[in-house]
Amino acid sequence: MADGNPHREDDAVEEEEEIDETSYRSVKDAVLFAIDVSDSMLSPRPSTDPKKPIQESPTTAALKCAYHFMQQRIISNPQDMMGILLYGTQASKFYDEDEDSRGDLSYPNCYLFTDLDVPSAQEVKDLRALVDDEGESRDVLSPTNEPASMANVLFCANQIFTSKAPNFLSRRLFIITDNDNPHGDDKSLRSAATVRAKDLYDLGVTIELFPISRPGHDFDNSKFYDDIIYKTSPNDPEAPAYLQSDPKASTAAGDGISLLSTLLSSINSRTVPRRTHFSNMPLELGPNFRISVSGYILFRRQEPARSSFIWLGAEKPEIAQGTTALVTDDDSRPVEKWEIRKAYKFGGDQVTFTAEEQKALRDFGEPVIRIVGFKPIAALPFWANVKHPYFIYPSEEDYVGSSRVFSALHQTLLRDKKMALVWFIVRKGAGPVLAAMIAGEEKTDENGVQKYPPGMWILPLPFADDIRQNPETSLNVAPEPLIDQMRVVIQQLQLPKGLYEPLKYPNPSLQWHYRILQALALDEDLPEKPEDKTIPKYRQIDKRAGDYVLSWADELDKQYAKVSAAAPRPTSTLVKRGAKDRASEQGDDGTSKPSKKVKVEEGSGGFEEEVRKHHKKGTLSKLTVAILKDFLTSHGRSNAGKKADLIERVEEFLEA
Amino acid sequence: MADKEATVYIVDFGKSMGERRHGREVTDLEWAMQYVWDRITGTVATGRKMALLGVIGFRTDDTSNELEDDPDYSHISVLSGIKQFLMPDIRELSDRIKPSKTNKGDAISALVLAIQMIITQCKKLKYKRRIVLVTNGEGPMNPDNLSEITKKIKEDDIELIILGPDFDDPEYGVKEEDKDPRKAENEALLRSLAEDCDGAYGTLEQAVAELEIPRVKSTRIMATFKGHLQLGNPAEYDTAVRIPVERYYRTYVAKAPSASQFALSTESASRQGKGELSAAAAGTQESPIDGSSLTGVRNIRTYQITDDTAPGGKRDVERDELAKGYEYGRTAVYISETDQNITILETYAAIELLGFIQSETYDRYMHMSTTNIIIAQRANDKASLALSSFIHALFELECYAVARMVLKENKAPVIVLLAPSIEPDYECLLEAQLPFAEDVRTYRFPPLDRVITVSGKVVTQHRNLPNDDLLDAMDKYVQSMELADTDENGDSESLPIDDSFSPVLHRIDAAVRHRAIHPRDPAPPPAPILTKFSHPPQELVKKSKKHLDKLIAVSDVKKVPPKTKGRKRTREAEKPLSGLDVDALLHQEKRTKISPNNAIPEFKQTLSQAENIEIVKEAVQQMSTIIQNQVKHSLGDANYDRVTEGLGVMREELIAYEEPAVYNDFLKQLKNKLLKEELGGDRRELWWLIRKNKLGLIDQQQSERSEVTEEEAKEFMSAK
Repeated sequence: MADGNPHREDDAVEEEEEIDETSYRSVKDAVLFAIDVSDSMLSPRPSTDPKKPIQESPTTAALKCAYHFMQQRIISNPQDMMGILLYGTQASKFYDEDEDSRGDLSYPNCYLFTDLDVPSAQEVKDLRALVDDEGESRDVLSPTNEPASMANVLFCANQIFTSKAPNFLSRRLFIITDNDNPHGDDKSLRSAATVRAKDLYDLGVTIELFPISRPGHDFDNSKFYDDIIYKTSPNDPEAPAYLQSDPKASTAAGDGISLLSTLLSSINSRTVPRRTHFSNMPLELGPNFRISVSGYILFRRQEPARSSFIWLGAEKPEIAQGTTALVTDDDSRPVEKWEIRKAYKFGGDQVTFTAEEQKALRDFGEPVIRIVGFKPIAALPFWANVKHPYFIYPSEEDYVGSSRVFSALHQTLLRDKKMALVWFIVRKGAGPVLAAMIAGEEKTDENGVQKYPPGMWILPLPFADDIRQNPETSLNVAPEPLIDQMRVVIQQLQLPKGLYEPLKYPNPSLQWHYRILQALALDEDLPEKPEDKTIPKYRQIDKRAGDYVLSWADELDKQYAKVSAAAPRPTSTLVKRGAKDRASEQGDDGTSKPSKKVKVEEGSGGFEEEVRKHHKKGTLSKLTVAILKDFLTSHGRSNAGKKADLIERVEEFLEA
Repeated sequence: MADKEATVYIVDFGKSMGERRHGREVTDLEWAMQYVWDRITGTVATGRKMALLGVIGFRTDDTSNELEDDPDYSHISVLSGIKQFLMPDIRELSDRIKPSKTNKGDAISALVLAIQMIITQCKKLKYKRRIVLVTNGEGPMNPDNLSEITKKIKEDDIELIILGPDFDDPEYGVKEEDKDPRKAENEALLRSLAEDCDGAYGTLEQAVAELEIPRVKSTRIMATFKGHLQLGNPAEYDTAVRIPVERYYRTYVAKAPSASQFALSTESASRQGKGELSAAAAGTQESPIDGSSLTGVRNIRTYQITDDTAPGGKRDVERDELAKGYEYGRTAVYISETDQNITILETYAAIELLGFIQSETYDRYMHMSTTNIIIAQRANDKASLALSSFIHALFELECYAVARMVLKENKAPVIVLLAPSIEPDYECLLEAQLPFAEDVRTYRFPPLDRVITVSGKVVTQHRNLPNDDLLDAMDKYVQSMELADTDENGDSESLPIDDSFSPVLHRIDAAVRHRAIHPRDPAPPPAPILTKFSHPPQELVKKSKKHLDKLIAVSDVKKVPPKTKGRKRTREAEKPLSGLDVDALLHQEKRTKISPNNAIPEFKQTLSQAENIEIVKEAVQQMSTIIQNQVKHSLGDANYDRVTEGLGVMREELIAYEEPAVYNDFLKQLKNKLLKEELGGDRRELWWLIRKNKLGLIDQQQSERSEVTEEEAKEFMSAK
């Protein structure tokens, strides 16, 4: 395997993303934005909100979306391509052709602003300049007098896809326009466009339309675009098509801000092409009764790409391509794949199996989701989880009638609040798991765009082998008055609508990683402070719940005094004596010193002041390593390293 | 660390152990060894240096022990002193397991020797001491000095386990009819001995039966985080709370033992000769190779950069000539040694509360990870009091907490969900990770309870929607398939998690241990208990049969025959939303020649309108010219993806139009030209790509009309 990354020792890479090995296509996605540039697309829509007097035109909104899409893509889909084609522009540009070239232009009024490719840092910069209206960058956004021929635009896109993204599994053309009838009654132009659209369909390109209504005129798909857009995806004709147009997206007639936000949410929902994790999987409802489903992964942890090795000898830094070869340990003889034998270490030796035997050990039959029985959904404990879920949706490919049976099961499980226990083999040779299958309802966002699709979720359960024992601990059940106080605190701090909304929480370390890379790539100043939406809103917490927290803390002190008075000092000679003694001493410490601050942390009561005292006197080195470590741990700092390191870190913390 | 342990197995090798009794297929000795081997390999599998064991045989032909001159100790052989057992020990022992020709030899004397061995090994150190005695109880036993022995065993805290075939065990339900009086006497003696030593006495049948139940490995409990659960910012606000807490795994996936890669060592490879070597590697050789002829295999990474002056446009560079960095889009970003941590977000360890949500409206499928528990700092009563009030308040309000968790300084934060867990004797928070914005993929799907047409009309009666009959049948079936109480406590509200064992883990574990002892036998099938949940329980299937029959009848599901799968059925869908007949328009256009820059669409369109095979052949001819030109003019691998796509489309289409021969003829031609370097030089890489992408000949499996067999297709691809 050739890849640009250093070899990773920990082979903790989870199961590979795509399982379909039968296709000759490479599992990549290419998106080309075709953005209409016309007088109406360029006329700013006034903002109705006086506080935000930003004027947004449909074209600039579209460019902002494209910019957002580009940045997101670099993080989430580093292998996938995108490009931006402006059409209806005065200027024309297509690879080495522009209006200064000799001869006829192949694609007049089409301006290929960003070529279809994995974006480079320079392209990010250029697009940002266009979005931010820097210098003369917007000169390109002047519309032509003659409207562009749609047939020409579509064929231009065809050529870009054909040459730049051959053999991609997914190729998509995003058309953003407010013109629902570009060619009026001109039959020949219309039919030329229709034919070119069919070409795209046959090439395997999906057209996705993002219509924008004009003030006083709703976008009408039936005038032109219903001849251009196809019902099904050309690559996956069996896949269920989502035909609903986004309810509010097309009617955002007036306001520029809402136009941008609806367009964003509409484009966001199509960031990634739908990829199946497994297709035509039998779902066995009972003996001799099967339907077919396809599986998708809708939640998956996005990690930053691994670091690469870079060659600096050339003009521009270049990623070195790594290749792995196998050699023997004893004399470094190259080993072919067929020579490899698998062996298990056992008793200081190897126990070997042939390749077939090895495979057979993991083989528990053909892939299947088999229902073993049903249970109330309440039987599924919160803790019974080991990984992300799989989403399944019916497919008619293997069994005609799958959809209606699936739907009946879906409705029944939802209504009766039940789950199915299933035996699940995701692919041949993958170990079977026991899983809970639960029904999920369709959910939409405030713009009416679907957030979570309707379907069934498969949650793999732990086996008995996967359950860890709870550590022993002493139980101190809180008395009612203390619970009452805490209840009030919790009631003050409900998240909006009492829901967790993942989209509000971008991954701060992932974002920071790419923010820094962007700055380095563009040779810009490094940002000073990360934007981190996962940091609690401290001020709000203090304002809303502060007083209640204080009265809870008072109650805690009261209750604790009762408890510690009742309990005799531990005198037993249990193994954990040391720890208990220390804790109770610190406990006495904590309660005897009245303090305005909330003190729960008995553990830190003792050393906290000790450390601060020594720090003031400049005698930190007199403290023991244990105290320094406790102090650092209690403030979330690393406690690794030698004493000198620890002291340095304590100083850093106290002087910050 | 796990305790040190020393176990001595005392096995009866008497002549009578070679008999098969009560219709069993195995001899007493074989049966006994099933148990003993399982125990021994179980210990070996741990790989622990301080898990020691020894083996004593009695009623053996020879005598070999410390006290061999004493006639009381004759016919007793120490087969293995106490030590860490390794593969050679297993091989040696397994060679010696056969019934002797004598019935002489005293079990009690063997026990004395075993005690002595343990005392010599363990002295007064901390050890788990154990003696396992397996005998059919038919040999002579000398009951003298038993009380002395009992005292010694108890003194040294040795666990004594005595097992035998057909030992009476009323609890387990074993009673041997017509038992030999001597055996009955010995059984009584052994039973009282075991009981006097607070040991265990049982019948072999039970012991062997219980081997089936997988043993769940217990793992040392270790905190993965010790720090604070925080509300608010203590550095800025006096109203902030910090509760000292600790975090432990609740679930953690136990991994199956992993196989390492090996190759025959060069020495044995050359000794075996090349022909045999490949046969062995292909797994066709009957006997597995023993470990000693194998050598480890490791990966070697080499790095290449583009260099236009080098042949092939690439050249190798050394690892240490390279710097570290990352990709930003397709731009390489170099990061100097001193800036290594520049992209790491600065964080401090803590679990910080963000807010609270309603547990009722939480979607359980958002759990992303294994789960953990969070408890108050141990031995800190005030902390546990504080956390308890938090847990109870969450419980009473039916809330979950959402928190930002950083386990160590400068580690990436994750968002976690915290749920209260209150049991009579245990309180804790349960924790599972939630997705970030980037982790959510929005794939959209049509609704399941209604159909929305192209024009936006909502339809509730449709072939993809269930009618009332189907809904009713489903309802009844689901009810009839309700899993009854699976819990011992009769608690129907729980899942059978405790009875489900990881099939792969335990099957591999069992197979490795089996192969260690029986290197030439095929691996055994998985134990039935591992596949217990692979099907619904029999009685449930029976009970629900009539509901299932009804459901099958009303749902009218039809399997699609494999032949009709594919694109033909979707012709209908290949129209734009308006339903406009684009083919008619295309017809007017009169595309006669496939243009190279729009080849794929025009090829497909030509085929869809082809009225006879000649037109198909003509289209393929044109395509093949286009493809060959692409190959010829490809700079290096520049056009290979386009070629692959063209071939793939041709192959798919010609399978769908049932004209496999046309494709096959073309591919044979192409291969010939590629390998003869007639298309612009060395094109072996392209041929490799064609093989990798499985674009070979269409065989009979893929198209009934093909004349190429699967073997021929394979042969065609493998030939270089």
